[in-house]
Amino acid sequence: MSSTPIPVQIKPSDAIAEAAALFQKIARGAELFRNLRDEQVEIGTTPKDEVWRQDKVTLYRYRPLAETRIGPPVLVAYGLVGRYTMADLQEDRSLVRNLLKLGADLYVVDWGHPSRADRWLRLEDYIEGYLGECVREISERHDIAAVNLLGICEGGVFTTCYAALNPKAVKNLVLTITPIDFHADGEHDRLGHGFINLWTRSLAPEDIDRLIDAHGNLPGEFMGSVFSMMTPMRTLMKYNLDMLEVMDDEKKFLNFLRMEKWIADRPHHPGEAAKQWLKDLYQQNKLIQNEFELGGRKVDLGKITMPVLNVFAQDDHIIPPATSQALGAKVGTKDYTELPLPGGHVGVFVGGKSQALLGSGIANWLAARQ
Amino acid sequence: MTANPTNPFEYMQGLAAMWGRGAEGFAAAQQTMFRDMAERMGKAAEGAPAASPTGMPDAEALMAAQREYSRLWSSALEVSQTVGRVMREGAPPDPLVTEMLGKIFDPRPWFSSNDDIDGELRRLAEGPRLADLWQVERRVLNVFNAWTELRRRSLEHNTVMLDAWLKAATAFAKELNQKAERGEVLESWRAVLALWVETANTVLLETQRSEPYLQSQRNMLNASTELQLAQQEVAEFYSQMFGYPTRAELDDVYKTVTELRREVRALRRDARAGATKRANKSGGARGKAKAQASPAPEGADR
Repeated sequence: MSSTPIPVQIKPSDAIAEAAALFQKIARGAELFRNLRDEQVEIGTTPKDEVWRQDKVTLYRYRPLAETRIGPPVLVAYGLVGRYTMADLQEDRSLVRNLLKLGADLYVVDWGHPSRADRWLRLEDYIEGYLGECVREISERHDIAAVNLLGICEGGVFTTCYAALNPKAVKNLVLTITPIDFHADGEHDRLGHGFINLWTRSLAPEDIDRLIDAHGNLPGEFMGSVFSMMTPMRTLMKYNLDMLEVMDDEKKFLNFLRMEKWIADRPHHPGEAAKQWLKDLYQQNKLIQNEFELGGRKVDLGKITMPVLNVFAQDDHIIPPATSQALGAKVGTKDYTELPLPGGHVGVFVGGKSQALLGSGIANWLAARQ
Repeated sequence: MTANPTNPFEYMQGLAAMWGRGAEGFAAAQQTMFRDMAERMGKAAEGAPAASPTGMPDAEALMAAQREYSRLWSSALEVSQTVGRVMREGAPPDPLVTEMLGKIFDPRPWFSSNDDIDGELRRLAEGPRLADLWQVERRVLNVFNAWTELRRRSLEHNTVMLDAWLKAATAFAKELNQKAERGEVLESWRAVLALWVETANTVLLETQRSEPYLQSQRNMLNASTELQLAQQEVAEFYSQMFGYPTRAELDDVYKTVTELRREVRALRRDARAGATKRANKSGGARGKAKAQASPAPEGADR
């Protein structure tokens, strides 16, 4: 380092003004904190009713917010890595509300909070078992042969597999931020994108087996740490700089806290299912090769013959677009549509611009295929 | 520590000195402890799978990891001192800038935050405490081996992170110099911070894709797993001794329950399919088939 004077010239008056503004911000934030009530940071608040339950899995039906104009009913499935409440984070950032207002009849499956007792559950238990039971329940309630499926992230893989194995039971398949080709992360080499793919491949299969054997499941806290690693400086700055930026603005501050609440609610991923997820899919990439097996049946993507809408986030660092788009060349339908949206993995659902486009994009596409 | 807390670089220097003295003391204490353990546990350790041929923890590897970490820490300190000196050579230092740059140039948060995984793994693994170690000798030796290995792997990973911090600090300083040469100035602490975040983020993301980072992460993960498993072995021993159900027995029960539930689901599916088939044959409506397929009382699915 040379002895060139560093080019930081902050005038004392500016520094004082900045410090004063900062103190005011903190004071207002502290006041907000003092008056904060639990219900202000509640998430997943759109009214819904339980219609079916088995083990830890619950199927809910949302109460309508408008006259039903889209049929058949849509079943929303999130993955096991996070919670379905991402789709209903808050009133003005809710895919669920947007779809209800646009006339969809909406159901959601909640996988609950698996514990060590659920370590032996496999992906086929979730896909053919619980998800299949939810589809059956909805079909029987409405006396219909097929439902619309809307999968999110890992839930998108679940719905993809279910649709391939049970094409007659699915009217339309909507996927959002869903990985299909788990090795396509390198196609567009963008710094920081696809780190989970790379990180998982850096492990040996036996590392994963031992990890699951030791903990019984894939601990939610552990996956949370892996996600934090993907945005290193953001993680470092989050609780000082980011929070400081918003803490005097009630709306922004509550948004921040609701997001933190969702992030903190990260369930454990059942052990055997996690082994399949990490080894069969992330490491061996079996899904795109039509080699992925569930309960002895191979998932053939070519059997997906119903219309497919594939939504991805253009700046998704967790599920890079290429890993989703790979589905297009594999499905057995010509009615395949891609909907690229601005934003990142979570931003698609909560970002001001994207979440509006997402709701109307899905609703319009479904309405045209009733 | 006598460092003036208002000067971040003196603080850092003091911290480094304390760390150095602490590391030396820790190393000496460990050697004594391991030697003592070897004498006490010589017979008990026979036949135990061990990290080194003697059954002893690999203290030498741990020392090597500490030496490498220490070497990089000295370099980090040098960078910090240089920045401090440059600041004092310029215009009268603004306390706000001094403090803020001091914080920026502190590599410690890189361990605490980017070391999240290490922290989480440790928290997950370090359930049982070490108080009962001497009572289950062979298993305890395994725990100590695994614990030593985790400390070593953790140090190795921190060394990779420290190296990344050095790269980021150097890149940041270079960027500042270039701005100075171009006559550009940063007029607010936010601008300085933004520059640092951008520079550091790039370096961190590049580091994460590097082989040394991925390898040290993997080693740390595996070491944590082995520690957890070694501790579970001790817990199993105690459970058996006192007649409590063991982890393995509970897992066995869970497995049976899961398999039974799976069978029940399959049987229900078959029953429904059979009922639908019969209803279709007799020309019945779907609603009728549903009624026949649900002979179980209300809430049976729950």
